[in-house]
Amino acid sequence: MRKKGYRYFVIIVILFVGIHLVQIQIDYRKKLENLETALVLLPGQMAGSLVLGGFKGLAADLLWLQMESYWHSGQHYKILPLLEAIAWLQPSYILVWTIGGWHMAYNIYAEVKTEEEKQYWYEQGIKFLKKGLSYPFNANKYDIYFELGWTYYHKGKDYPNAVKYLEKATKYPHPDYVDDVLAHAYEKNGQIDKAIKQWEFVRDNYTAFFDIATRMINDLKTKGKATP
Amino acid sequence: MKRMWLVGLNTFRESIRKKTLYIILIFALIVIGASKLFSFLTAEEELKMIKDVSFSAIEFFGALIAIFGALYAVSAEIERRTIYTLLTKPIRRSDFVIGKFFGVSMIIFVNFVLAAAFFIGLLIFKKSPPDIQVFKTLLLIFFELILIGSITLALSTFTSDAFNIICSFFLYIVGHLTSYGKELIERMENIVMKGLTDMLYTLVPNYENFNIRDKIVVGLDVSWSYVGWTVLYGILYMCIALYIALYFFEKREV
Repeated sequence: MRKKGYRYFVIIVILFVGIHLVQIQIDYRKKLENLETALVLLPGQMAGSLVLGGFKGLAADLLWLQMESYWHSGQHYKILPLLEAIAWLQPSYILVWTIGGWHMAYNIYAEVKTEEEKQYWYEQGIKFLKKGLSYPFNANKYDIYFELGWTYYHKGKDYPNAVKYLEKATKYPHPDYVDDVLAHAYEKNGQIDKAIKQWEFVRDNYTAFFDIATRMINDLKTKGKATP
Repeated sequence: MKRMWLVGLNTFRESIRKKTLYIILIFALIVIGASKLFSFLTAEEELKMIKDVSFSAIEFFGALIAIFGALYAVSAEIERRTIYTLLTKPIRRSDFVIGKFFGVSMIIFVNFVLAAAFFIGLLIFKKSPPDIQVFKTLLLIFFELILIGSITLALSTFTSDAFNIICSFFLYIVGHLTSYGKELIERMENIVMKGLTDMLYTLVPNYENFNIRDKIVVGLDVSWSYVGWTVLYGILYMCIALYIALYFFEKREV
């Protein structure tokens, strides 16, 4: 029996060595595929993280539902801490960054009275979107780049930055309207040649945009201006 | 092999007579079904919530089924003294333990398939048929549940039911937190402490390896390579649990 006990012990030790080696592989793959469960460093956040364990997504959903209720009752400022909390719980949930940025740069922007306040919330929106981009798993998707590009283009009239981020958005799989907005941004940024090229690309690749792209190319070539 | 199969089948038949497991399964189905209540959200948000709630329900209630299913598999035989009759027959103790493992795995499998089918049905109903990533998540949840069951089974060979429940739940919680510990280990400077905690990191089952649902619901892709390594991890840990169960059950005086 004693001999058998040693045999079991040796087998278990060998299996644990195997487990250790497999865990190294798993940790490596987690790093490679951005699957790591990062330890958030603020003390309060860390405690929350430990309590929630594997159910962070569920907690994020509950906060999202709370956010919806504030949203529909017009309590816009109450949404802000919830956005931060959801973004912390599930930073790879891209919608929280895009909606958060839009909420600050558009909704709260529209609610405040002075120009200084408007500028402040516009910048907060941009800052929030850029924070979303700082997570590697968000940086290889078009969504936040597009939202940044659009906010710079439409709200900030900051065309160089709009072009910069919209160009980045087009590097990743994206819907057709991203190319459309980029063409407009080129034009507004004074890059007429690039705008024409971009419209040609839109015309040749998206049938839904064929008519508008043809008209834009014509206007740009004849009048040097197409976007109202 | 036939003897193991018979023990397993008997364990499964006995378990499906228990009401506890049905109640847990019904709870799981209610929770999964309730996720349809989020229809006031946008389609993308709703789908994320359906997936989040369903994956969590399948895992959490599945873990309850695994723990309670495995808990009574051995202890009930000892309590009712049916084990004495059983062991007088030409059944080796290893046949009995491995057979029990098969039986518990069957219970977990049937409950898992029912809950997963309900969830997949819900996705199809929502016109968003499950993609391969959903199946990868379900596969890893299934292996996690089998691992939880095998650890509880191993504990049941040498502990009381009460201690086993506490220990299994404790491991379930701690096993989901070990990934956080890894980051702390990497920052440690004391080599002895680092070695000890690294060893602990290997010894405690890392259930967080199986948790890819938070990534899948937000559209991240997980490779087959990751899934493969994690399944291998699960199988190795199950072997350890079974060897521990065999060791203690052979030593046990019944």
